[in-house]
Amino acid sequence: MIKHHPESTMIHAFVAGELPASLSIAVSAHLELCPHCKAIADKATKAMADEFSGNEALVELAEPTPAQPVDEFATMLAAITEQPTDAPALKSAAVESSNQMALGEKTYTLPRALRQFSQTKWSGLGNIQRARLGLDEGDVHASLLQIDADSAIPHHTHKGYELTLLLDGCFEDESGRYEKGDFIILNGEHHHSPYTAEGCLCYTVSNAPLHFTSGVSKLLNPIGRFLY
Amino acid sequence: MYQTNQLADATINKSESAVDVQPDLNQYLMAVASHQDKAAFAKLFAFFAPKIKAFGLKQFRQEALAMDLVQETMSLVWRKAQLYSPEKGKASTWVFTIMRNYSFDMLRKIQHNKEDNLSDDLWPLYEEAEPEPDYEDDHLMREQLIQGLEALPPKQKEVVEAIYLKEMTHQELAEHLGVPLGTIKSRLRLGLEKLKEKMELHND
Repeated sequence: MIKHHPESTMIHAFVAGELPASLSIAVSAHLELCPHCKAIADKATKAMADEFSGNEALVELAEPTPAQPVDEFATMLAAITEQPTDAPALKSAAVESSNQMALGEKTYTLPRALRQFSQTKWSGLGNIQRARLGLDEGDVHASLLQIDADSAIPHHTHKGYELTLLLDGCFEDESGRYEKGDFIILNGEHHHSPYTAEGCLCYTVSNAPLHFTSGVSKLLNPIGRFLY
Repeated sequence: MYQTNQLADATINKSESAVDVQPDLNQYLMAVASHQDKAAFAKLFAFFAPKIKAFGLKQFRQEALAMDLVQETMSLVWRKAQLYSPEKGKASTWVFTIMRNYSFDMLRKIQHNKEDNLSDDLWPLYEEAEPEPDYEDDHLMREQLIQGLEALPPKQKEVVEAIYLKEMTHQELAEHLGVPLGTIKSRLRLGLEKLKEKMELHND
């Protein structure tokens, strides 16, 4: 059962289209897995649409009089209705698109928000495979991470924030156990060492590299950028 | 099929009493969907274009970009109207989501020079039906409700679903189904009573 959800302010920002793409993907994918948050988002969409459309009476477009130049809106309206409408067949074509992703021996079904990244290039380090999504959002990096069964990521903290959306499998850390759909945001105050028994696939967004804090794993800091 | 002159009359009456315009918008959109009704589209355009422009100005702070947003959003409304159905929500919600999606893609292009058009994957718009969500095992109540709903006579089920799950108003539904308001109310009452009986049976 999903225990970790995005805050409602984040869901509202997502609905308003105000979140960056990297975080929008995470919220969208979470909503696909979580009926509870989906309901919050649907309600927010309705409320925003109501605010957008107001509640005023319909008005007619002003008829252009010969003395006046034709209104810009009127020209646009005329041009739009000259266009052919789409054939109804597009309805099913729009949903046809693969969201299957094969990786090693496993095939995952990606959330819709991630399906255009199913062909992203992967690179590996030890037990971890990473595919960076080329979203071009400056310091904010978004990646898919696949972690092999019976693997741990050494004790670390986060210089910025790190969002993890668990897409498949499960993992645990000092604060508990996480399952498919969990939406976890950590920042510099959190230290943890996640471990996965069965392996997992995550979507992560962070704005700074991980910082490893114990023993020999500190050696990972120079290469920590791999995980960011 | 709707006659646009009747719609126009209805508008005049409504604006006098200043009631909710939403049912009208739904009907105009459905008229565009069913027979590319240009007069109905002109009404939608007159209502939404200035609002979209205002939204665009806030978003992009440029007249030309705001007008692009109006152009693209209203073109999509015209071309894709057939994909709208009132069961999925109000016309204004549909238009808002189309505008929000296009605006998101425009911002990506302006700020990050990316043309990845992510919005349709982030906020699915044109789906035939919502995919069945994965209900958790412990949602026994929910399962019972779904079973109860499935067991209702089709006409009662239709009304209960539209009012409670799709959140249509009684009036909207009466217009959509083309039956009197009283019929909607009695079907709803009968449907809910049956559903309640079934739930009590299970919980005793």
